[in-house]
Amino acid sequence: MIMTTNGVFRPEMRRVPTGELLKPNRKTNGVGVQAEDTKICVVMVGLPARGKSLIAQKVVRYLHWLSIPAKTFNVGQYRRTATPNPSAEFFDTSNPEGERLRKAAAEAAVNDMVKWFSEGQGLIAILDATNSTKSRRRWIQDRCQAEGIETLFVESKCDDEDLIMSNIKEVKTTSPDYVGQDPEAAAQDFRNRIRNYEKVYQTIDEDEYDLTYVKLINVGKRVVINQIQDYLQSRVVYYLMNLHIKPRSIWLSRHGESQYNLSGKIGGDADLSERGEAYARALPGLVKQSAGEGRKLTVWTSTLRRTIQTARFLEFEKLEWKALDELDSGVCDGLTYAEIESAYPEDFRQRDEDKYNYRYLGGESYRDVVIRLEPIIMELERSENILIVTHQAILRCIYAYFMNVEQERSPWMEVPLHTLIKLTPKAYSTQEERLKADIPAVSTFREKGSSAKHQEGDAA
Amino acid sequence: MDTLLTADVAANSPNFRRRSSTYVDAIHDLPEKEEMAPAQLYSTESGRLFHAGRIVIATVGLPARGKTHISVALARYLRWLGVKTHVFHLGDYRRATVGPGNDVPEDYFFVNASPSSVLLRNKILKKCREDIYRFLEHENGQVAIYDAVNAISAGRIALAKEFQKHQITTLFIESQCNDERIIEENVRNVKISSPDYKGWNDVDAIKDYLARISARIPHFETMEESDLHWIKMINAGEQVVVNNCAFGYLSQRIVFYLLNLHIKSRQTYFARAGTTNEEDSYKADASLSQAGRDYAVKMSDTLRAHREKERQAIIDKGGPDNALKPLTIWTSTRRRTIETADYLAGLGYRVRQRSQMSQMNPGVCEKMSEKRIREEFPMEVAKHESDPYHHRYPRAESYHDLAVRLEPIILELERENNDLLIIAHESVLRVLYGYLMACNAADIPKLSFPRNEIIEIIPASYNNVAKRITIPDLPEFMVPGSPEDIKIPVPPSGTVTPFAGLGSPARGISVTSSDRLSVRPAAGASEKEASEKAGGSVGLKKHVHPME
Repeated sequence: MIMTTNGVFRPEMRRVPTGELLKPNRKTNGVGVQAEDTKICVVMVGLPARGKSLIAQKVVRYLHWLSIPAKTFNVGQYRRTATPNPSAEFFDTSNPEGERLRKAAAEAAVNDMVKWFSEGQGLIAILDATNSTKSRRRWIQDRCQAEGIETLFVESKCDDEDLIMSNIKEVKTTSPDYVGQDPEAAAQDFRNRIRNYEKVYQTIDEDEYDLTYVKLINVGKRVVINQIQDYLQSRVVYYLMNLHIKPRSIWLSRHGESQYNLSGKIGGDADLSERGEAYARALPGLVKQSAGEGRKLTVWTSTLRRTIQTARFLEFEKLEWKALDELDSGVCDGLTYAEIESAYPEDFRQRDEDKYNYRYLGGESYRDVVIRLEPIIMELERSENILIVTHQAILRCIYAYFMNVEQERSPWMEVPLHTLIKLTPKAYSTQEERLKADIPAVSTFREKGSSAKHQEGDAA
Repeated sequence: MDTLLTADVAANSPNFRRRSSTYVDAIHDLPEKEEMAPAQLYSTESGRLFHAGRIVIATVGLPARGKTHISVALARYLRWLGVKTHVFHLGDYRRATVGPGNDVPEDYFFVNASPSSVLLRNKILKKCREDIYRFLEHENGQVAIYDAVNAISAGRIALAKEFQKHQITTLFIESQCNDERIIEENVRNVKISSPDYKGWNDVDAIKDYLARISARIPHFETMEESDLHWIKMINAGEQVVVNNCAFGYLSQRIVFYLLNLHIKSRQTYFARAGTTNEEDSYKADASLSQAGRDYAVKMSDTLRAHREKERQAIIDKGGPDNALKPLTIWTSTRRRTIETADYLAGLGYRVRQRSQMSQMNPGVCEKMSEKRIREEFPMEVAKHESDPYHHRYPRAESYHDLAVRLEPIILELERENNDLLIIAHESVLRVLYGYLMACNAADIPKLSFPRNEIIEIIPASYNNVAKRITIPDLPEFMVPGSPEDIKIPVPPSGTVTPFAGLGSPARGISVTSSDRLSVRPAAGASEKEASEKAGGSVGLKKHVHPME
């Protein structure tokens, strides 16, 4: 037969991951990222204080938000178990004991990762360590290849001294290695530690042309992307390119209390109530108190009246995003919860059962909202100092992204009216501060199973 | 019709871009009316999305590096997302200005060209730039893709400066190839189909092209300007270097798309799944019937014979005796699509299941007859008829939902190097066809894919061409309808649709072969078309109702 020699795919033509054919597939997670049987190990590469842990942590959070199971394996944590408070000498490569312990920590992390994959728990693992030599990277590549795991090396390279120092002060001196130590001494020790690494550090170059890698130079000013093999890798790279590691905060607020909040109706495009109006007037002062004098923010609102009115006294640049509009409650728009319960009892029950996936008749689900918020999240990652004035369901989704809240829980979170939330992403977690305006408002929080009026004000 | 005429019109008529001289692929048309694009998530009054402002994407690279392909593919994707995008091929303007059959002077591309050549160059550039400004400033355009060589660094810096004066951001995309094989394949597959070589034979065209590249464009500087925004694709995407591109969501999105794009040419085929025994149901996942299995064999054999014939045709035309590109098959995770691919899998072809490619969820309308849907949900039916693309029945998906869900598939479609056969439900084929042929969203629900035809999408750098391959000897009952088609979208009010695939015809209604073709040229053209079909490529007129 002619075709067998000409048109048939033969394995040697292109490497195919084993076991791919006719294997039962994972269900799509509904947000368009289907990973099939791909297993990817994202290998961080870079000197200390280049934002590796921050990047690793964010990638995991982003993937969770998109319902992709992911986990970080931090080699430093394995090493810390053996050596809780190491001095700079420990990281000197001429110190064979330190070198041996570090290699052992890397082995342990990789073993746990392989085990995690083989238990079918995850799709993407992040190996967070300096991985600063070609031989170490080759070792990881070989280990992963033997286990059928794809690799994506992510190098963060930075030669801007100011950026490095600010990263050391902001982030590293709060690292678990320096618990209870004098900050100045800790910073000094850290500088020494970096010098030890610099002696042996090898950047990814032409010798490693066969590796799949992305090299982020000076916080994304230039990015080199090599040998991307599949869609999921490109998706991770896309996300990485939107990240920056400069310190910043994000402020979130719901709109002021609206006429609909007062009457207990959901959705709509109502004006602010008197108390909502008072919150709008109080907001500039609240922002000044939280952000400090003279800090320039950019304000994002939805296209609905209540958020635009709430933000109108703020003297910053403002952008209206359609994507920040409240969850569309379809046929239920303009009804109260009691009315929904009597008109659509079945829907009301179903929604309580699985609020994340429930889609209003002719409207949206939380899952739909997450999809349309993706541009917002990307833009937020790129920007510094943004204040978002939006709606309950939207805030829940954005908040869930930054605070790593589980899917099932996020639609039930309480986000009170007339409160300014400040989120500050740090390397090990996101810090949160809440500032309440002293202006009363109805509670719009609805507990599971309840339909009491004056509870949930937005279609959330 | 050829692009020469389009280009000719381009130089003389300001409205050229509203009409296409071909019904092949609408990527070079501007939509007549404003409407949401297939995967657009929201709309704005200015028509510009993501607060990204206006952008000119300028290509950089020697000929035969896939610039035009990148331009057109990117335009296709951005339009799919709802970003108003148009491609301005400088080559079109050049050809239109010198007129058919003429060529630009020998020193046209030289740095030290004669004054008359410089004058001609400036005239052509001016015309093209005027059209770009009109599109961005007066027609709510957001992204203009400027497809040109842009060989010299100083020229690129000046270009970015000039656009900056109009508050337009310039993003350069360079395609660089160090691999001679990629260049030669590009010349063969892409360049000799370009209007420059209409009527030439392959070998001469390739020779001429390569000679022309080195002789006529002796100066080329790769991008290193650290202050400009640029993306460099090396060897068809093997490596991508991105410089200073963090200026907006859209720019990053473009990089994301380019990471999945390659510039090698390959075919895509669409086929329906075979029929099943059981009463159709979305939830029941039935196996193929005997007739369905027969269909699978006939479809597969027809496709294999067709591919072999095409290969022979290339050899006969003096092309190389290359092996066929490997063929990969994508199915959904529904049993009937997987089983339709079983025969090919048995022959050693690679089959992948893609769960995003499952058909539209019919929601509460599952298993309901059209009549009952009309009785129970008259309001929904009315809404559906006014906007069949965006409307969703209770608990169901709309075509828009499906398009958003299929986005990763579209990126993987671009990524795939092998030829590709997609076996899927009609609703999925409609959306994928809509992407590849730049259909308007409103037309997508009306596209029809009768079971006795395999659709072949042939990528060309200027526009894609769709071609139908008839599967012979299929039993009549299997051809027209979509037995597994869900009962939505329901046809336009009252009467049963004359077009299969526009909805499921009521059981027992026979559909004649002449009127079921809504992806076909107008009814009057059918005879001519039938004769063309035997010979080769057929320009498919999208969305034309035989009734019109």
